[in-house]
Amino acid sequence: MPQYLIKRIGQAVFTLFCVLTFAFVLGRATGKPAGLLLPDSATPAEVDALNGALGFNEPLHVQYLTFLANVLRGDFGTSYRQRESALALIAERLPATFELAFWSFLLGLLLAVLAATAIQLTGSRTLRSLFIWGGSLRHSVPDFFFALLAGLLFSVALGMLPSLGRTSPASLVLPVLTIATGQFVLYVRLIDSALSDQAGQDYVRTAFSKGQSRARVLFSHMLPNSVLPVLTMAGLNLGSLLGGTVVVEAVFAWPGLGQVLTEAVSQRDFPIVQAGLLVVALIFVTVNLAVDLIAAKIDPRVSLA
Amino acid sequence: MTQQLLPTDPTLVPPATRSGDSRQGDQHGKVRRRPAAARGKRGAAASPAFVAGCVMLGLVLLLAAGGALLPGYDPFGQDLSAAMRKPLTDPDHLLGTDSLGRDMLSRLSLASFVTLGIALAVVILNAVIGTGLGMAAGYFGGRLDSAVTTLADVNLAMPVVLLLIAVAAVTGPSATLTIATLGLTYWVGYARVSRNLARSLRNRDFVLAPLTQGGGHGWVIRKHILPNVFSQTLIIAATDIATIILIESSLEYLGLGVQPPVPSWGSMIFEGQKYLGTNPWLAVLPGIVMFLTVAGAQFVSQRFTAEGTTGALLRKGRTA
Repeated sequence: MPQYLIKRIGQAVFTLFCVLTFAFVLGRATGKPAGLLLPDSATPAEVDALNGALGFNEPLHVQYLTFLANVLRGDFGTSYRQRESALALIAERLPATFELAFWSFLLGLLLAVLAATAIQLTGSRTLRSLFIWGGSLRHSVPDFFFALLAGLLFSVALGMLPSLGRTSPASLVLPVLTIATGQFVLYVRLIDSALSDQAGQDYVRTAFSKGQSRARVLFSHMLPNSVLPVLTMAGLNLGSLLGGTVVVEAVFAWPGLGQVLTEAVSQRDFPIVQAGLLVVALIFVTVNLAVDLIAAKIDPRVSLA
Repeated sequence: MTQQLLPTDPTLVPPATRSGDSRQGDQHGKVRRRPAAARGKRGAAASPAFVAGCVMLGLVLLLAAGGALLPGYDPFGQDLSAAMRKPLTDPDHLLGTDSLGRDMLSRLSLASFVTLGIALAVVILNAVIGTGLGMAAGYFGGRLDSAVTTLADVNLAMPVVLLLIAVAAVTGPSATLTIATLGLTYWVGYARVSRNLARSLRNRDFVLAPLTQGGGHGWVIRKHILPNVFSQTLIIAATDIATIILIESSLEYLGLGVQPPVPSWGSMIFEGQKYLGTNPWLAVLPGIVMFLTVAGAQFVSQRFTAEGTTGALLRKGRTA
């Protein structure tokens, strides 16, 4: 266990280090920012002075070390446009994105567990095809287009739900529905194949031969044993979930991370993009590390692999 | 926007069926495909889904090729007097016109050409990088192997969409950027599969024999490893292209891909979004073409994966 722990933590730190270095390289590739910060009437001397004050005239390795030190202190730079801490601007938007991602994840997973247990309880192949094909067809429609159609139907045509902004709990419905149904097929496949693997195991046969009911075998034996792959996949899928959230936010004008990042891109406000990238990478790496450690705790065989 | 997690993107792979054929490498190590009719019972005859997929993809390819083959339609020519025509109302513009009076059919055609071209370039880049790295890692093993494995893990642990957004913030969005960034980040699936295959092939007789007779590593990889890995690479590519199209279009929708006036499905949907109330076709038509492509690719590639990427790998492992 300790060896596995050390290896996984080392890997997580290395990944974060790579993202940091990448962000630094990108940041320097944008060029010196003083030209953007000062009005057009500024003289070259003024531009040079500001660049110097911001540390852009130092040798590259000094800049890199300063950058790392700042990040370690929680200083992710200042927004060029809004003159505020980039980290604060990102942190302000994070709750909205989390809200969306959390409910979407929960709904998608819940639907998938219901579907997969229904498949196992009935043993119906038709039901399985129905769920998997339905889910695949939904997945063939990109989230942003599905969101558009859902908005067209439920807010423009029927007027039932708000399609823009984050004003009431009802605003959550369409974005969450979009992301959750998009992720549904991924989880159904995973849980279904995990359950099907369990179904062939000796302990399941034994349970059945003792006369236990299908439902009891499924819920108290098979389902707990299928948690592990689902957990791992859910962690890895976090990246795609957050990525998907960014796009869906754009459709529904959801005031989250996606919106602030796309705005920052169009305004060439790099510190915000950088802070967003680093924060998301940190969340992503931490969650995956946690998932792996929990997996090793639940099933000690994991750490031996 | 799915990250690659498994050898093939799990969202697009139908559940593995364990039935099927018993392909084995012959003495040259080359997997010989038996004719379709002789393969396993299931999936032998063309399934309805496969035929439907072919038809869907065929339609899209026809649309993409049509613009180049049929002159007289101009995807850029504006005509404000003929703006916002609905489909099938104007004989000059079969699928109507957009807000600037540009012909929708020719714009859709060019957009299909552009989007598919980018997706294809990305998939080829992914396949070449992934298969190359994977084969080298599996064949040579040792430090190279652990370096490639670490690189793959780190790649998986990065939020790719945000990386793309960050790069676009620096260089400004363009088609080249999309190809380069997606091409460099979605290769892990290929690398994992070809690494494992190369590793299991490494000590087979047909690989060892030429080595003992003085054959070079490069030659052995080219002649004996690559042909065996290649079919798996194609299978992954077939399932991956749908994922890539979905990601690419999302980026285009966000304005991070091909830049106007060149159309793409994502940007056409974004432009059409403004006129949902008056002329929803502007957004719906590119959406339909995109759905046909992604669903079609899924139906067609299912035929390959149903034979079992996993199954084939397991069998390979056993016969090794």
